[in-house]
Amino acid sequence: MSTRARTPQIVALGGGGFSMERDSTLLDDYILSLTKARRPRVCFLPTASGDADHYVVRFYRRFSAGCEASHISMFRRDQGGRGVEDDLASHLLAQDLIYVGGGNVVSMLGVWRAHGLDELLREAWRRGIVMCGPSAGSLCWFAEALSAFHGAPRRVGGLGLLPYSNCVHYDAEPARRAEYHALVAEGMRSGFAVDDGVALHFRGTELHRAVSSRERAGAFRVQRIAHEVLETPLETTHLGKHAETLRGGRALAPA
Amino acid sequence: MSATRTILALGGGGFTMEPTNPLLDDYVLTLSAAAEPKVLFLPTASGDTTAQINAFYDRFGGRACTPKHASLFRLDELDQPLEDVVMAHDIVYVGGGSMRNLLAIWRAHELDRILAAAWRRGVVMAGLSAGAMCWFEGGVSRSGGSPEPLPGLGLLPGSLSVHADGEPDRLPVWLDCLRSGTLPGGWAAEDGVGLLFRGTKLERAVSSRAGAQAQRVDAVEGELVRERIEPDLLGAHGAPAPTMDDDVREYRRVQRIRGQMRGRLHRFEDI
Repeated sequence: MSTRARTPQIVALGGGGFSMERDSTLLDDYILSLTKARRPRVCFLPTASGDADHYVVRFYRRFSAGCEASHISMFRRDQGGRGVEDDLASHLLAQDLIYVGGGNVVSMLGVWRAHGLDELLREAWRRGIVMCGPSAGSLCWFAEALSAFHGAPRRVGGLGLLPYSNCVHYDAEPARRAEYHALVAEGMRSGFAVDDGVALHFRGTELHRAVSSRERAGAFRVQRIAHEVLETPLETTHLGKHAETLRGGRALAPA
Repeated sequence: MSATRTILALGGGGFTMEPTNPLLDDYVLTLSAAAEPKVLFLPTASGDTTAQINAFYDRFGGRACTPKHASLFRLDELDQPLEDVVMAHDIVYVGGGSMRNLLAIWRAHELDRILAAAWRRGVVMAGLSAGAMCWFEGGVSRSGGSPEPLPGLGLLPGSLSVHADGEPDRLPVWLDCLRSGTLPGGWAAEDGVGLLFRGTKLERAVSSRAGAQAQRVDAVEGELVRERIEPDLLGAHGAPAPTMDDDVREYRRVQRIRGQMRGRLHRFEDI
């Protein structure tokens, strides 16, 4: 039996971080603090956006000053440039934090599976590399997720590192609550609904705490009990009050 | 119902690779019986880059057609379910990029099934590079960096290798795959060459550049048998490219710019 030095950790954002919050580094700082590294190695996976250039640029703006920042493009593996070209495994497994961007979760998981990245990420998580992301970058870690395009909201299978369902941007769309409750009532497993600006921090597969960058943003445990869907608000710590202690003097790029 | 099934497979060329040479793209428009065909661009293999999408509208926006694109990373831009969008078009044009990603994303959204059904119904399929190889049993892709064989959708029998002149490291890998039986015999097309398939038979080869060539290669008892294919040079003596009324052209240009601005704002906020 091997010993594990580090507990697997996932920080799943309902929305927020550098993708959505230009003026707040609270959630990103919280995530970085979990790495315990003085200068964390952070790798960005923008797959769900189709490796959108503007997204990659925003990542480097936020992280390159205080971290060893890199990104992996799954669309430009045949070209040179700043992306990581070869050996995905050794690069990913050497990171302190893997940051998954938002976008379309179905497209992202399709690409990951086609390149074997799903198994690599599972291994990285097991080894204690902190995994995080907003939106599609949250949904992917769960067993099931609600993905809403136009038309009927869809149940989507994720990587299943966390044995729950997940719904993001919970406060952004008025219809989201009813859609999620309906799916849970129909048999989707119980899970977590998360507003923009809120992050769920899991240690192993247990929810450790919920933190937020915004005063009124929240998160909810949504469960099917008997034939009822029960929604329970989670206690959420607003990081704004603790910003100074979390930063811990680390030099981070201003937003 | 027996609609004509049509695929135009480009070894390279068209609006992304030939910004000043519209011959292949004009030829694509002639493949539909519609006077102003509805053309759907799928930039999936590139990750739906703005550059490819803009190049598509630059080329087709001023021509006698109705251009539209569909992004599988921004499905919320579509006003209908994907299947309805595809079936409402006369031509589907698939861009180049990563063949491995293209097929994985299509399958994740069941677009592989939708496109096969559309082809059988007579929707014209066109594409270059990854967007050409995807229709065959297999191709040689650089999705992972160096060239490697990759299975395709198999709507057309045989294999295809692209950029036979522009990317010299791809062709030898393809020939090795034919020799070893990893890939079935098939075609290699240079940049600027289009192979037109009606049903599953090669009907014609066309080109936008003088001297551009294609070849058919099969392994017969371990030996490669090559047959040169001389494409018809487009534009030399054919019908002139379809043109459009200037006011209509201007109106569409404005609509297009508006649409792109909406898309851009949306994209920044959505991620």
